[in-house]
Amino acid sequence: MREETVKTILIAAGIILMLSFCLAPFFFMIVTSLSKNPEFLSPAANFKLTLENYSSVIFKESLHFIDYLRNSIIVSGVSAVAGVLTAAVAAFAITRLKLPGKMLILFFALAVSMFPQISIVGYLFKLMTWMGWINTYFALTFPYVAWVLPLSLWILTSYFSQIPKELDRAAYVDGCSRLKVLTKIIMPVAMPAVLSTMLLAFIFAFNEFMFALILTSDHHARTVPVGIALFQGLHGEIPWGDIMAASAVTTLPVVILTIIFQRRIIAGLTRGAVKG
Amino acid sequence: MKRIFSKDILKSYAFLLPFAFFIIAFILIPVIGAIINSFYQDVTFKAREFIQFENYTSLFQDSGFWQSLRFSLWFVLVSVPFELLLGMIFALLLNQIRKFRGLIWAAVLIPWAIPSAISARTWELIYNYNYGLANYALSAIGITQEPVNWLGTSIGAFISVVIADAWKTAPFITIILLAGLQGIPDDLYRQSRIDGANFVQGFRKITLPLLKPVIVVALLFRTIDALRVFDVIYVLTGGGPGGATTSLSIFGYNYYINGDFGYGSAVSVVLFAIAFGLSVLYVKMSRFKTGIR
Repeated sequence: MREETVKTILIAAGIILMLSFCLAPFFFMIVTSLSKNPEFLSPAANFKLTLENYSSVIFKESLHFIDYLRNSIIVSGVSAVAGVLTAAVAAFAITRLKLPGKMLILFFALAVSMFPQISIVGYLFKLMTWMGWINTYFALTFPYVAWVLPLSLWILTSYFSQIPKELDRAAYVDGCSRLKVLTKIIMPVAMPAVLSTMLLAFIFAFNEFMFALILTSDHHARTVPVGIALFQGLHGEIPWGDIMAASAVTTLPVVILTIIFQRRIIAGLTRGAVKG
Repeated sequence: MKRIFSKDILKSYAFLLPFAFFIIAFILIPVIGAIINSFYQDVTFKAREFIQFENYTSLFQDSGFWQSLRFSLWFVLVSVPFELLLGMIFALLLNQIRKFRGLIWAAVLIPWAIPSAISARTWELIYNYNYGLANYALSAIGITQEPVNWLGTSIGAFISVVIADAWKTAPFITIILLAGLQGIPDDLYRQSRIDGANFVQGFRKITLPLLKPVIVVALLFRTIDALRVFDVIYVLTGGGPGGATTSLSIFGYNYYINGDFGYGSAVSVVLFAIAFGLSVLYVKMSRFKTGIR
């Protein structure tokens, strides 16, 4: 009985420590974003509540934060939808059609996902310059589709292989083409899996930094991570209040999505990494 | 031959065409382009010229290259085991939770979901010498008297980068390990307790051996990621002070950004070769069970 109590206390203490480690940076981010003076922790200053940072980040057009946010959402959204649909077509072929070398394709996709971005981005820059796409949505969307494909393929392959093959067989007997089986049978059945894969792909693209850093140059195409990383004050000092407010505004939707879809994100990640 | 490439199978391959297009056009061609480019002198405003292995020979005599290679290897050696340990502790704790499970799991997952460039900016402020949370907390608990110069010294910058990176990536390891933990039947632990085994023995004799395949997966995914680390360092230290935290990716990036594509490509090819070697090792070490017939 006593051993059980000790164990419970130890676990509770561990969980509190773990949660403080995971969440402390967010609290600091939010408190700083609400402070008139970002130096409120130094002995000379103190905390004074204000919403100024939020209003300047949202309404001051010269900061371009809303532009960055819009660019990020459009680029990541389009890449996630296009990438997952492309992966779904490939996963359909790999799991349900006679296809010699399907394992080779899967391992190839895995190897591709381990390529360092730095060995892709140099030539990508030349390619995009040649196409005249630098600093446009195209410069990011196409590479992002390719970037989310391996992960999406692995997750969807794992989901698709669990759908009973009898479904397809019945459809073929009724005279459906393969494309019809994919669009009319498999996709509707797998819709929840496809949507949660899209969410993961979106998070992946939304997180991407190096491509966006090199392939964009200003607020016409620059994404939020790059925008916040390069945020500088006019007179050299770092505008911490604005940066933390911008970070908080970006973080909030991600936090809400994570809380709502936590189960699906975890299922997708473990499918992509462990089962796959 | 004829049987393998029947019309039917060719039609099946057609389903892979969109997938192949994106991978070939935006990943494979750029990588091959970088490999070819690494044999050229390719500097902005200069004529492009084939120079064989010259980029590589000067690379191997470049002390900056060795410094960044050394940093990247040290970073892998320190951060990956640290993150694995942290992820293991988190996973064991989360596996015990019955109440508020959804919320607590989500709280652990959030650092993973936030773009690293954004969270690194918050860490930059946390490490601030005068008014950062780190120095404030350390002196409040009474661990340090003087503020720590986190980002201004080599060792401080290294530790700062490792902690910020672990904060971001431990959740990923936690999730993977947790999936493994939940696959271990409770009966095994119950039986071992009846046999008189304590927690540590149970962990060593049951948990670790059964988790081994999952650990290998987490370990190698993280090794590759740590090897190519860029975002956190770019924001937090920019590779400094004095190049002390310049990873191979940062080193190559600096050449690209100064318009030296040939030399930058050579750096990226070396990193690519190391990562590729490790990923082959990965596929060989973990015998994949895909469940695909």
